[in-house]
Amino acid sequence: MQFNPCIKHKLIRNSARHFAETELAPIAAEIDQQRIFPRDAINKMKALNYFGLQVPEEYGGAALDSISTAIVVEELSRVCAAVGLCVTVHNGVAVYPFLQFANAAQKETYLPQLASGEVIGAFSLTEANAGSDAGSVEMTAVKSGSDYILNGTKIFVTNGGVCDVALIFALTSLPENKLQSSVFIVESKYPGFLRGELEDLCGMRANPVSSLFFEDCRVPEENLLGKLGDGMKIGLATLDNGRIGVAAQALGIAQGAMEAAIKYAKERQQFKRPIASQQTIQNYIADMATEIMAARLLLYRSCELKDAGAPFGCEASMAKLYCSSVASRVTGLAVQIHGGYGYSKEYDVERYFRDAKVTEIYEGTSEIQRMVIARAMLSQSMM
Amino acid sequence: MVNKQKSIWVFGDYRNYYQNRVTLQLLSRAVDLSRIMKAEVCAVLFGHEIEEWIMEYTAHGADRILAIDHPSLTSYSTENYLALIEKLARERDPDILLIGATDFGREFAPRLAKRLQTGLSADCVGLDITSEGLLVQIAPSFGGNMLAEIVTEHHRPQMATVRPGTFKEIPHNNERTAIVERLPLPADLPASRVRLVEYERAAQREHRMENAAVIVCGGRGMGNKNNFKKLDELAGLLGGDVGATRPVVYAGWAGHDSLVGQAGKHIKPKILFSFGISGAIQHTAGLGETDFIVAINKNPQATMMKMSDVAIVADAGDWLHHLIRELKKRIRE
Amino acid sequence: MKPMLNIVVCIKQVPMVTELPWDERSGTLRRDLAAGMMNPACKHAVEAALQIKENQGASITVMTMGPPAAEEVLREALAMGADRGVLICDRKLAGADTYATSFILASAIRKKCPSFDLILCGAYTSDSETAQVGPQLAEELNLPAAAYAENIDVNSGNIRVRRLVDHFRETLEMELPALVTVSMERYQPRYASFSGLDKAFTRAGISVLNAEKLGISPADLAQQGSRTRVRMVFVRKAQKENVTITGAAARAASEFLDRYERKIGAAIGKSIEAKK
Repeated sequence: MQFNPCIKHKLIRNSARHFAETELAPIAAEIDQQRIFPRDAINKMKALNYFGLQVPEEYGGAALDSISTAIVVEELSRVCAAVGLCVTVHNGVAVYPFLQFANAAQKETYLPQLASGEVIGAFSLTEANAGSDAGSVEMTAVKSGSDYILNGTKIFVTNGGVCDVALIFALTSLPENKLQSSVFIVESKYPGFLRGELEDLCGMRANPVSSLFFEDCRVPEENLLGKLGDGMKIGLATLDNGRIGVAAQALGIAQGAMEAAIKYAKERQQFKRPIASQQTIQNYIADMATEIMAARLLLYRSCELKDAGAPFGCEASMAKLYCSSVASRVTGLAVQIHGGYGYSKEYDVERYFRDAKVTEIYEGTSEIQRMVIARAMLSQSMM
Repeated sequence: MVNKQKSIWVFGDYRNYYQNRVTLQLLSRAVDLSRIMKAEVCAVLFGHEIEEWIMEYTAHGADRILAIDHPSLTSYSTENYLALIEKLARERDPDILLIGATDFGREFAPRLAKRLQTGLSADCVGLDITSEGLLVQIAPSFGGNMLAEIVTEHHRPQMATVRPGTFKEIPHNNERTAIVERLPLPADLPASRVRLVEYERAAQREHRMENAAVIVCGGRGMGNKNNFKKLDELAGLLGGDVGATRPVVYAGWAGHDSLVGQAGKHIKPKILFSFGISGAIQHTAGLGETDFIVAINKNPQATMMKMSDVAIVADAGDWLHHLIRELKKRIRE
Repeated sequence: MKPMLNIVVCIKQVPMVTELPWDERSGTLRRDLAAGMMNPACKHAVEAALQIKENQGASITVMTMGPPAAEEVLREALAMGADRGVLICDRKLAGADTYATSFILASAIRKKCPSFDLILCGAYTSDSETAQVGPQLAEELNLPAAAYAENIDVNSGNIRVRRLVDHFRETLEMELPALVTVSMERYQPRYASFSGLDKAFTRAGISVLNAEKLGISPADLAQQGSRTRVRMVFVRKAQKENVTITGAAARAASEFLDRYERKIGAAIGKSIEAKK
């Protein structure tokens, strides 16, 4: 029951699906098990614009609309969530700030390479003491001559193990002696930029998530993104956008899990008939399908608002909140429908189950999403 | 008006004679049809130094041979042969014209049908005739799970192409005679617009699959290329070969040399595993006498399931995976 | 300046290989329910055209005859790099066999690309495989042609084709204009990039032709229509006494091997008895 707002979306979906099923499906289980970043497949994706989905043509991107972008992420995640994650983080929270906040020189320097995938991007805000409490960032950036010197540690950086450019949030002091956060474009080749060990995670295991250590890392002042003190502004705007990508991921995971469950239910026979003929299973399937459809429409709604230039933060939060919770529920049901086999690595559903959970956590936990939505609702004078 | 002698023409495709018996097979069927229809069976061939084929076709059923022997016709040429056979057909008005569905025939026949503005059924699995001489062309329909009877009511000649292996040739009989017309190359034959620059015989693969005792075939029910490739593992464990159906080959999951069926290899293994195959006739036409057929398909009503000794209702890919696992546990010399 | 090659690629939308649901009642495949895809051999033909374009420049028109949904395969070809698309769509043309199809395609080509240099087609389709449209189109347009091409070289008004037919590897040469059908042996179709897909909708144009625009009258259709008639369709008889096994794959595989271990073991020359 595919839903494509227009024929272009259908073709984009077909193209991404074809690629995912040809290049990613054969390796998805193994790269998850062994924690291997699939370089060959990633390299093939570069020429096809997977890393410049919404970058304007003049910088070598595909200039796709937001629904198309969500469809690409969904289709990748439907087969291999870890690769979907790499693509959505690169596009959604590493490239996006360049599009919104970079000056002409920074765009010239970085966008073409980001769009072509020659340079993989990462976004690092989270620290050991600063998760949901993003304001408690402790990393510092101190002006020294024409550079800033960065010191501190970022954790749980998606793409951390392979990124060439990272957007780093650090505290800078303003003339009034206040400490505010600012964002710096940091290249991995700068001295003092160190990668930590790859995290051993429950899901998304083929994505190279790691810590990034900054020890007197010198960053030229031209690499300040926006103005001093813009950290909060850039952070919030970027996370609004990132939410759409995570929602798309979660949707893809849910879709893949549901398809697997339906296929299994039609084949598995107990009591001399397919389990799909049991009303309980049918109820599960009905719930899964309905929730996924609702999640999809919510996601596409937030995409539409974003493309129309309207405020989309609340809807994006709703989409992220709902899609991720649907993913958790649907993958849980999918494992249940598979019974004992669902618990085994012989089948893919247990990977979907593990992959789904983090969508409720990263880029703003579900609790934070609820805060965002409640604030939006309470601040309106009319409902 | 004189009653014109009815005739059934068979195009003489003599290239690869010893492996390619399709002309002889068609002659045989033409002889059957000619008895009902009271027609003459006529073999038509063009080339250079073709005496051997003229004798063969005589010995295998032709009543008449129309032959044009000329050095310029040494190699097959679609353009030349089209012009020659068109002239002959317009002069002599055959009722039926049968062409073997070799690669050459499949390019030649449709062009000829268009040129003569007549109907053509391709890849027929059977040919019947009414006493009035209406050719009943039996061809696959609906993806090969049903058969259609097709007739060309208002146009002549009635044309059909037939794959090698559909009919059985009549044994060679030296006693047979035929009227042989050795015709000259027409002076006004237009020059061919296609020039054969060079050619070489491609290496013939040994007929391993045709002689294999165990064959594992996969169809579209395997789901994707990845799953399909796992058939190699099963074949390896069983010491057999992997065969494929037409949709699978055309989707690029397997090479053309794996194709089992009308258009591909004819197999007669002791054991055939048929994974995710519906049983379209294009495929089953390639299955000869097999001792033991095991079919695995989600659909218990699939033709292949009904043709098998053991029908396993399951997802082909899943079942393959488990069968491989079980076999690995058990196999020992 | 050498004028650019004008190439027409005829492509077809066919049911997706794995998605043909089965209609239990009629025992047939439900083609109407399946999603469509570009016929694989046609995709190879598009790729062949694109490689010629890359080597020496060409303007590529892709053409298809089908229902409105067939627009998708045109867009896909445009995304791969073709320059414009033509959709021949008209209910009156539905049900055309290869004889009529070649006539209709020829009319469209004469109308939209009268000065073509080269026509490419897929050598066969995955759903019908008669491989007739190419040769019949060549006949309709009175062109020299070669089928099952593995390799195509265009050079100053001439085309060289390498192909494998009936165990002979041939190299043929023809003067343009000509028609070539492309087999699936060599060309590897490229993935379309997303920027290509986007441009396929924002830049490239698709013209839609119906019978009227083509100048095809009902009389023409009757005249060019099918020479053959299906007088009956029947199901093949194929029933054998057989054993059916159902159930979870893991257990069923084990059961199956237990039951037939001797038969299979004998055929493969090894023992497959379960280890005790």
